[in-house]
Amino acid sequence: MKKNNERCKRKEMLVESLKLPKDICMGALKVTMTGNREAWIENYRGILEYTEGLILLQAKTCQVSFEGTGLSIDYYTNEDMKISGCIACVKYLG
Amino acid sequence: MLELLKYIRGYLRIRVSGFSPERFMNLCSNKGILLWNIVREGDVYYMNVNLKGFWSLKPIVKKSGTRVAVLERYGLPFFIPKLFKRKMFVGGLMIAVAFWIWSSFYIWDIELEGNYQITGDVFQSFLEDNQVKVGMRRDALDIKELEKEIRREFTQVTWASVKLSGTRLHIDIKENDAPITVETKNNSGGTDLVSEYGGTVVSIIVRSGVPKVAIGDTVEEGSVLVEGKVPIYNDDSTLREYFYVDADADIVLEHTRSFSESLSFNYIKKEYTGRNKTDYYLRVGGSEWSIADKRPYLVYDSVIKESRPLVLEKLSIPVYFGSYTHREYQNVEHEYTLKEAETLLKQKLITFLTSLEEKGVQIIEKDVKIDTDSSSWIIQGEFLVQEPVGVSQETVRMDK
Repeated sequence: MKKNNERCKRKEMLVESLKLPKDICMGALKVTMTGNREAWIENYRGILEYTEGLILLQAKTCQVSFEGTGLSIDYYTNEDMKISGCIACVKYLG
Repeated sequence: MLELLKYIRGYLRIRVSGFSPERFMNLCSNKGILLWNIVREGDVYYMNVNLKGFWSLKPIVKKSGTRVAVLERYGLPFFIPKLFKRKMFVGGLMIAVAFWIWSSFYIWDIELEGNYQITGDVFQSFLEDNQVKVGMRRDALDIKELEKEIRREFTQVTWASVKLSGTRLHIDIKENDAPITVETKNNSGGTDLVSEYGGTVVSIIVRSGVPKVAIGDTVEEGSVLVEGKVPIYNDDSTLREYFYVDADADIVLEHTRSFSESLSFNYIKKEYTGRNKTDYYLRVGGSEWSIADKRPYLVYDSVIKESRPLVLEKLSIPVYFGSYTHREYQNVEHEYTLKEAETLLKQKLITFLTSLEEKGVQIIEKDVKIDTDSSSWIIQGEFLVQEPVGVSQETVRMDK
């Protein structure tokens, strides 16, 4: 566990010093939100759950859940997706 | 823009239900199939998928254990086959296209530009003489030959350009602004300057020839003012030969000109009764259709208004519509009052004086009277004027 953490830190330092984009190199999820009505998500792996009140996405290192009401997916491609509706909460799990 | 692209390519609204629709969506995105407007209602998902993506859905459906049902079809790939099922529509479309292609082989409009002296009617008849008319075939027209013919027929045209744009023949001409100079005959036999009326010489400037009159001389009509026969003498003052030139001089004669005009007491004036009748007509090429009385009133005049549907103006197809307004009138006899007669007669006098001024005539004295005789007003004027004089006439040769 310690080893893994150290490796992760070292990688982050390297990426930082080389000024590489973190979302690509670290496989981090990128969420862009406009108020609480719209969210654009990039760098995800897939959808785990989709209901009107919850959308759960799988990223490389974690899971993200969007909670709210009347949630819907405007479009969904390999690269990015758009969620619209009334988003109440964004949670990172694990 | 994106919507339009989607419409052109075609897309479907599908319903996805079953074990794991989320997995279905993930597999779709992995395969690069675009999904949009994804809505969940209970356990069922509704979404749009493009037509191309739909055909590659089968393995995904199998893998994810879902069921897909097509709800609606959108876009051109579905719309066009539907159109072609309508036989009348297809027939009409083909006839329209055929008519369009066929009509593009003909000239439907002739436009003339740049004519000031040559009237449209004159040009029209010239074109008709050359077999150029509305409704002729485009390939029957020889543009180069027509341009040449225009220049040959109308000498005042210095430049002519004929352009065929679509079904419209555009003729552009340029007329000579400067007066046409008639080429004078070369010094062949020599010419004299002869007086066309009698009077007293006021000034004389001779450029070529031998002057026969001096300032103050009185000349008769027809007498020689400047002779084109120049004598050449030997050293001993004997005549050797005559050298013939075209006499050229500015000579001004002072003489009297008279002017007389009459105006009858009565005149006939149109008085409209106020009764009008309007008939409408449709004209296609040379033929005309209208619902009209041949002679609506005993005495009448007609005003014609004609216009063209805007679309046909662009297409240059000779379809016009318009109206005749027939206005009834009566010929009523009126009598001029003194004031009216004076104004009209003075107007005539002014026209006469203006025409004199245009010729370079100077008026020294004038004496104008308005009088009446048994049936008309008469204006009479005597003018003492100084007027340029001299017409060319061939010199009488004196052969040795």
